[in-house]
Amino acid sequence: MKTKHITFVLLLSMSLAACTNLDEVLYDKVSMDEYGKTTTEVQTIVGGAYATLRGFSDADKGGTNCYPTCEFVFFLSECASDEACIPTRGTDWYDGGRYQQIQYHTWDANNILILSSWKYCFQGIANINSIIYQVGKSGLKANEKEIVNAELRGLRAYYYYQLLDMFGSVPIVTDFESTGLPEKSTRTQVFEFIESELNDIMTKLPATISYGRFTQNVANTLLARLYLNAEVYTGTVRWKDCIDVCAKITGYTLEPNYFESFKTANEKSSEIIFAIPYDHKENTVGNYLASMTFHYNQKYAFSATAAYPWCGNGICGKPGLYTSFDANDIRRQSLLIGDQLNIVTGAVIMMDNGNPLTYTEDIVDFTKALQNEGARLFKYEVQGDDKWERDNDWVLMRYSEVLMMVAEANFRLGFVGNSLPYINKIRKRAGLADVAVVTETVLDDEWKHEFVFEGLRRTTNIRFGTFFKPWWNKTATPLFRGVYPIPQTVIDLNPKIKQNPDYQ
Amino acid sequence: MKLKTKYIHTTFVRSIFVALMLILINQQANSQNFTVKGVVIDNKNETIIGVNVKVSGSKLGTITDMNGAFSLSCEKGSTLEISYIGYESQKVKAQPTLQIKMLENAIALQETVVVGIGYGSMRKSDLTGAITSVNQKDMKKGVVTSAEQLLQGKVAGLSVVQGSGDPAAGSSMKLRGGTSLSAGNSPLVVVDGIPGVDFNSVQPSEIISVDVLKDASSSAIYGSRGANGVIIVTTNRGASNTEVKSVSYNGYVGVGNVAKHIDLLSANQWRGYVRDNNILTAIDFGANTDWQKELEQTAISQSHNIYFNRANTNGGYRASITYSDNQGVMKKSAMNRLAGSLSAYQYALNKKLKIEAGVNSSVDNWTPIDLRVIERAANLNPTVPVYDANGKYTSIGGTNTENPVELMNNRNDDESRHRLLGYGKIELDIAKGLKAVTNASYEYNSYLRRYYIPSYAVMEGMSLKGHGERSLADNSTKQLEAYLTKDIEFAKMNKLSLMAGYSYMETVYEGFGAIRSGFDTDAFLYNNLAAGSDYTTGDVYSYKGQSNLISFFGRANYNYLGKYMFTASIRQDGSSRFGLNNKWGLFPSASAAWRISDEPFMKSTANWLNNLKLRFGYGVTGNQDGIGDYKSLAILGANGASYYDAATDMWKKSYAPVQNVNPDLKWESTSQYNIGIDFSLINKITGTIELYSKKTSDLLWTYPVPQPPYIVGTMLANVGDLSNKGVELTLNVNIIKSKDFNCDANLTFAYNDQKIDKLSNEVFQESGLKSGSLHGLRGMSGMYSQVIKEGYPAGAFWGPICNGIDPDGKYILNSDTLGNPINEYLGSAQPKYNVGFGMNFSYKAFDLGFSTYGMFGQKVLNASSMSMYDPTRLPSQNVPDGFLSSGIKTDPTFSSYWVENGSFFRLQSVTLGYTVPKKYNFGLEKVRVYITGENLFVLTKYSGTDPEVNNNGLDAPGIDRFNYYPRPRTISFGLNISL
Repeated sequence: MKTKHITFVLLLSMSLAACTNLDEVLYDKVSMDEYGKTTTEVQTIVGGAYATLRGFSDADKGGTNCYPTCEFVFFLSECASDEACIPTRGTDWYDGGRYQQIQYHTWDANNILILSSWKYCFQGIANINSIIYQVGKSGLKANEKEIVNAELRGLRAYYYYQLLDMFGSVPIVTDFESTGLPEKSTRTQVFEFIESELNDIMTKLPATISYGRFTQNVANTLLARLYLNAEVYTGTVRWKDCIDVCAKITGYTLEPNYFESFKTANEKSSEIIFAIPYDHKENTVGNYLASMTFHYNQKYAFSATAAYPWCGNGICGKPGLYTSFDANDIRRQSLLIGDQLNIVTGAVIMMDNGNPLTYTEDIVDFTKALQNEGARLFKYEVQGDDKWERDNDWVLMRYSEVLMMVAEANFRLGFVGNSLPYINKIRKRAGLADVAVVTETVLDDEWKHEFVFEGLRRTTNIRFGTFFKPWWNKTATPLFRGVYPIPQTVIDLNPKIKQNPDYQ
Repeated sequence: MKLKTKYIHTTFVRSIFVALMLILINQQANSQNFTVKGVVIDNKNETIIGVNVKVSGSKLGTITDMNGAFSLSCEKGSTLEISYIGYESQKVKAQPTLQIKMLENAIALQETVVVGIGYGSMRKSDLTGAITSVNQKDMKKGVVTSAEQLLQGKVAGLSVVQGSGDPAAGSSMKLRGGTSLSAGNSPLVVVDGIPGVDFNSVQPSEIISVDVLKDASSSAIYGSRGANGVIIVTTNRGASNTEVKSVSYNGYVGVGNVAKHIDLLSANQWRGYVRDNNILTAIDFGANTDWQKELEQTAISQSHNIYFNRANTNGGYRASITYSDNQGVMKKSAMNRLAGSLSAYQYALNKKLKIEAGVNSSVDNWTPIDLRVIERAANLNPTVPVYDANGKYTSIGGTNTENPVELMNNRNDDESRHRLLGYGKIELDIAKGLKAVTNASYEYNSYLRRYYIPSYAVMEGMSLKGHGERSLADNSTKQLEAYLTKDIEFAKMNKLSLMAGYSYMETVYEGFGAIRSGFDTDAFLYNNLAAGSDYTTGDVYSYKGQSNLISFFGRANYNYLGKYMFTASIRQDGSSRFGLNNKWGLFPSASAAWRISDEPFMKSTANWLNNLKLRFGYGVTGNQDGIGDYKSLAILGANGASYYDAATDMWKKSYAPVQNVNPDLKWESTSQYNIGIDFSLINKITGTIELYSKKTSDLLWTYPVPQPPYIVGTMLANVGDLSNKGVELTLNVNIIKSKDFNCDANLTFAYNDQKIDKLSNEVFQESGLKSGSLHGLRGMSGMYSQVIKEGYPAGAFWGPICNGIDPDGKYILNSDTLGNPINEYLGSAQPKYNVGFGMNFSYKAFDLGFSTYGMFGQKVLNASSMSMYDPTRLPSQNVPDGFLSSGIKTDPTFSSYWVENGSFFRLQSVTLGYTVPKKYNFGLEKVRVYITGENLFVLTKYSGTDPEVNNNGLDAPGIDRFNYYPRPRTISFGLNISL
């Protein structure tokens, strides 16, 4: 009996002594403060800044998709411009009228496409700020930290450029540790922040061509964009500065084949200055624009086994876009229209309503579009064995944009003759005859055709002022809509952020 | 020979007392006497020990011995009074030999039932908290696919919803309206003293009783896991104090068919519609296909259990094996289980020490189906043949119109789970009234998934050229619980019970998986993943995590004469999951009870009011389910984010912060008041009324936070308040109690009113969160049907009121002056009233019982119909019959039109049994056969297939949207044999 006593007490006290530790033991995660001891570890953190460029989705947590390639960052910029739209097709693509708002330029602060674009940028910025914080605490030497941080600050400036372009006045946050609610800076302040950041880091950025990285060439292209649109952003023109920074961009040539930059293996293109690399085998997500544009039955045209990923029959060209191209313009092939043929039988594919799948440029009724109406986005290469997540890299900056910026800046400065060779170089590659004289219309058309479906059009529309004029299925747009409203949920969460003018 | 273990303690004391009396009395017996020899049996013909036998009008008496026999000398013509606790007392004429059959007095029995209260047990009569007990006889009959079903409709306040007819799907339980918006609302299940055991690891046939701790004063002893109540399950591993040798077989075979379909147009109805409306573009594919029927089968279920029990007063063992095989009413869907358990115990040290050990193990294998086939079956045109002229699956293209038979047949999804529970328990009587208990257990769960989609399969298969997956997830829980109990009795009237203990729990989960695509042959299925040539970076993975829970707890009960009772308990829980600033939580409780009927002033009512007891309790409990592991920390995770490294032309892994840091993260805290009244009337009716009010604070929710400055746009935080108030009534009535005919009835009723009081504080703001996603329904991506909003219950439908359909076929919605629909509250998916009603009859060898349950006052969104009542579906797709007469000619729109009354009343089961009389049963102990019919009818106004839809969780309950696995109607035949 006595021994039993002792055994029991021993058992009890042993268990007590061994088991009062409540620390969480990490196995498949790492603590933020204990990571970044080696250069390779720092690289794995910095790489996250590039991974974030692909966007993210928190739709499963009641949020939304925030992908720069389609839902909804790309959808917003394209459909607000004069080149693309998402018509309502029966019950499909109505979705509470969110796309109709963009088409009519009647968006409000609750539009999810606008929220998606805001979140895309600020998620990227928050991520970079935390990485800079971690680099600061890492084992790197001071000069090594500066070099690493240069790329990070460059990427952050890239996000801020997009915010400047879309929202104008936004809060500037650079410190990971500050937890107070930030206030907005003016659009000019945001402009100046981007300019000074890029100039500050320029010499520390890689001077060579390094695919997918934020190099000096990328920084200069971004500066050129900033200067090209400076009048819109700040009211002050910077055409000369635009030409000067463009002159610093070196090492690129126009690919003889316009579509070389949009092939599945487009990373070989000599024209791409900055791109977001994608590879489905690396689980990159968000790159499924092709599935957002083609008809449900398009798979029979692409794959003998109809194994092509599901397609949702959504975004398409605005009526008039296709016909605005010259018939000889190779770039017109960026749009798909006409009969779609079964790859095996050669017969026209039928839709499930019994009609042939023949894409038309025209859309008779935007709110009740037929399944086959609208020219489809066909710029990036399609392969029969594509996966839902496509493998082509997403082009953000191409050398021909530099040429166009030089051409336009010269034109704006009155050096019309200087701009002509740049325009004709681009036209020649497109299979078009030279123009004799550059006009604003020539410039605008060249921007439209060279960069169709590349997400630049809204900025160009605003710079040329066409954004505010009526176009297909849209009346005149008031000037305040040159920027988007701050998403309502952002204002709800941070009362210090005031709504953009005239949106209240 | 059977012993009523429940009464052994009283009987023991009483028998000693009576024996002493007899010694004294017998000496005075005179020679006029003769000796009565008798035996006392119960209504199952089993002898009863310790029955009082007394000669009327004298002090003579005895008690029955180990064989239920007695002998007593008395005067001729005497009358004997036979009494025993829990049985009807009776008088018989003294005769030389007697066989006396005693009838149970269910009323009195109930008060003597020993109820598990966590780290101990107590007689029902001594309880101070709200605890409902359900014994085996009252549990669900027929085919049982999940243990939760046993309690459906049996416990007032415990809502059990089986949202699916899938034999592999469990049921959800929610007590008193639930306490959490984001975390689990399932009660903590404690099996034979081991907390946190998966209810479904217990074989239904081995469950003896279930005690549900409903109020906080009872469940606070389980601290941070007690907020949703505690279910204490007692299996047949308990000790026996007498010689037992038994073997029994229990089995059934059931046949089930789908109870109700969606009423869709048949091919001929479709043709009629096309003809009448002169639709020239319609394509008639020429067949007559009922797509729903193509997916269904007659489900055969069977279960067989063999149970051995050998015990004597020093020890014993039990062994049991169960095999069950339940087919689903959808083709390919099935689940089978092999479960075995073995336990043994031994007394030593003069019965002061009891050592017990055992293992339970089970293997489950099941095949889930892809629920998308149900939507496809509703979408597909009924003239489309299943197979084309070449015998291949017909494919018509289009969105969400893949051939569902093909989808179903091309999926190979075989899953299995292995469970092992091993335990050892030592009970030691250290000194008089002082006892130590140590309970150690190890529970291991291993889940294996095997999945293959062949290269010719539509949907994912073709584009992936064959796709195989295999994954293994293990989790294990080690627990050690030790406690001391001390019973003190002074002045015979005061009883004090003290308990103090310590508990340690460590849970580890880990797993890995492999995925490959690009198979040149489908011959290997998931068995040779290396045959696939295509793989992506996330196709091989592994993970591991751990959490610890450490607790100290104690309880004191004071009982004065069984009239005044007080209980107080306290528990301190520390969890590794909690944030740094809140590592330990304290959970106190106190309760008191007063047996009014024992007061002298109640003497006058004693003849009809047999028992009246008033209880009052208050306690604080917690729920730590919603936190998850590592949620408070600053950590980097991979999140599958690769980046391209130009320098090496390689893709590499990056690591990024996965969440905002929250060192304040802690449990959700629920404080609850409970007032209870227990009563019994006219020796026939017992009942309980409970009133409760509970308030949950520090509700966990993932809040949107401003970004900047936060690094991630959402954050898990403790902010909101939720309250539930309600009334519960339980009634048991012994309507007729006689030798041959018995009839009793039981009723449970519960009313609960829930309200979200608060969702925001200074830091975290939430004005009304959208929930009840309609995403995935045509034209409704990113849209919601519910809000989580202050002032409303969870599951609040929120949208415009519809006043019918106008002549143009449009929904007439309440709109503002600009024509925008006005969104408002359309009712809650949570039932206001839960009712259960059952009756049992027995006549000689026959027994008949039925049980019903119902839920009332809840709304169900008929999203399936909302989406199918769509004019654009015709002629290419199919619509329900009702669509043609509905007049709807517009796109699917969410409004009150589709938010339907979801009240229902279901006949859960009817069982007719026959116990074969002894003379025909080949010398066996007992043979009973029975037939059970399940889900025979549902009374409801709901227009969809079944209003009992999933209301798991509080954030999106009550939506019927094509994901409903049809519920079967089942007839089963069963056999019980005891040797």
